[in-house]
Amino acid sequence: MAEVIERDVDPARYDKDFLLLLYREMVKQRTFDENLIRLLHEGKVSGFYHSGMGQEATGAGTCASLRDDDYILYDHRGCNQMIAKGVPLDKIYGDFMGRVCGTTCGLGAGIVHVAYPELGVLGQSGTLGACFVIAAGTGYAIKVKKTEQVCVCFFGDGTAARETFHGGMNWAGLYNLPIVFYCENNEYGISTHYTKAHALKENIADRADGYGIPGYVIDGNDVLLVYEVAKEAIERARSGGGPTFIEGKTFRYRGHFEGDPALYRDQAVVDEWMEKRDAIKNYRAKLIAAGAAAEAEFDAIDADVEKQTLDAIAAAEASPMPECTRIYEGIFVEGVV
Amino acid sequence: MKTLTLMQAINEALLEEMERDPNSVYFGEDVAAMSGAFGATAGLLDRFGPDRVFDTPIAEATIAGAALGMALAGLTPITEFSFADFVGIAFDEIYNKLGKWNWMHGCCFKIPVTIRLPVGALAGSGPEHSQSPQALFMHSQGLYVAVPSNACDAKGLLKTAIRDPNPVLFFEHKLLYGMPGEVPEEEYTIPFGVADVKREGSDVTIVATSMQVLTALNAANMLAAEGIEAEVIDPRTLIPLDRKAILDSVRKTGRVVIVHEEPKTGGTGAELAAIIAEEAFFDLAAPIKRVGSADTPIPQSIFLEMEYKPNEEKVMAAVREVMQY
Repeated sequence: MAEVIERDVDPARYDKDFLLLLYREMVKQRTFDENLIRLLHEGKVSGFYHSGMGQEATGAGTCASLRDDDYILYDHRGCNQMIAKGVPLDKIYGDFMGRVCGTTCGLGAGIVHVAYPELGVLGQSGTLGACFVIAAGTGYAIKVKKTEQVCVCFFGDGTAARETFHGGMNWAGLYNLPIVFYCENNEYGISTHYTKAHALKENIADRADGYGIPGYVIDGNDVLLVYEVAKEAIERARSGGGPTFIEGKTFRYRGHFEGDPALYRDQAVVDEWMEKRDAIKNYRAKLIAAGAAAEAEFDAIDADVEKQTLDAIAAAEASPMPECTRIYEGIFVEGVV
Repeated sequence: MKTLTLMQAINEALLEEMERDPNSVYFGEDVAAMSGAFGATAGLLDRFGPDRVFDTPIAEATIAGAALGMALAGLTPITEFSFADFVGIAFDEIYNKLGKWNWMHGCCFKIPVTIRLPVGALAGSGPEHSQSPQALFMHSQGLYVAVPSNACDAKGLLKTAIRDPNPVLFFEHKLLYGMPGEVPEEEYTIPFGVADVKREGSDVTIVATSMQVLTALNAANMLAAEGIEAEVIDPRTLIPLDRKAILDSVRKTGRVVIVHEEPKTGGTGAELAAIIAEEAFFDLAAPIKRVGSADTPIPQSIFLEMEYKPNEEKVMAAVREVMQY
């Protein structure tokens, strides 16, 4: 069985700059998300958007311990994670708007297919669940090349039912690979509650035990707790200690996609999460109560992030659309053939 | 020149390329200690050690997906499926991921993955261990498809496959493994997309792939006794496809028979025939004829297996038919 870690992390253990950095990262993600939804409503973004609003503590808490050359495979609400890893906002907006400044140089990418190899962001597949086996290969490559990198594989509770979950976990345990599996359990895989999609003892992380992998269950909306547990897992992986499985309990505020009214959920539960368990609101209140920072400092961060976000949107909108010939480019890499 | 079986030629290619590229790894089911289902990986484990040559769990989706992950992290992964039929288990990883990952992420990756896939009917192996699924991947995007027909081509094409920064599906016919052929002593590679004229002729073009190149050559030699000179073209790679070589030959002879071991419907011949019809219709003196396997699953019975697939008589009959025009 996975270990359930419940502890109240004292902010006094961390310096102010770091505490505010985590806050800034989460606000950056939330602001990105709010503005993307606005752009969708304005008709400037097409396709499906799977909002990660409410799940900001995952990317912020986890990526804070990663090096630039560490790898991540982000999940289906993974803009939070790619932003936390450092992908520039104008590039992500550019992908959503199909502009050449995007990471895909105009092909367009929604929540999937953004990649930024210079910061180890390896991309994502639309058929969810490939992350497990790709992470297995990435972890194996790190092991062979002895580079002391780490691969963090993010996924949701829904994806944890894919057959590839077993294949990837089995390799990771068998070959002792430097992979951190982070399950964002936001309770719903599209409309299906995770307890109706999984045969579980109690938690999804319980499965790790069967692969010889340590498993932990945490409050995934407590960014300091996410940071501490992920940091320990990342350091273990980096030093040859093998994989870790972390299940962060969280909740998505929006429907499965924008336009999904999410009538399959109890509104009282949604309200409870948004009002009492919000990662950003609670963290801010906690830091203020601890005397770590003042209201005005948070307000200043909020304003700064808002400006950066609007600047990024403006930059993306100023970027041209691609030529029609773009679709024919890069199907094969230029090489020996 | 030296004489090697196709299996020995593949083994040489693997040893040479893994020696050349220290980032290359070879992995798959039973490939290390047992040297693979057909023995192609003999000596790799001893030469390169257990980190670079290793046995995996029986899980093709994981093998193919891990190959992608390894490539993204800078390795040169080479792997195999014991039987090409098992592509179905890893179809998502091959079709949606290996072939498309670079393009759909904006063309910022190299995916130098090689997957060896033994194909073909052999000794009653039945419907799930005898198939030739290469045509499925002519319809995909971003995957190279190689179909060597002899030892020399197999070695040169496999070395190209391993060096190439794109994913390559390398289909080897199991009946060819024991076939000897002349192989150059010196280092060489064979580029993709260059067909080979295996026999020159003026009356009819036979486009054949993999094991069926041998069937076509046998048929052509027997047809010569009837006064029919057949030209046998081996595309060697289906993606990229040497359209020019095929069309040049068809324009020269005016008649074409296409031979492959996949079932006729939707086989590689369907695409080849369509290309010829689009590009060289008015150069044809006769309708295009295809000789493929039966549109049935592959029977276990050796007797019925012989009936299932192309043979010399079927090819000769097709050639005689187009010669009547």
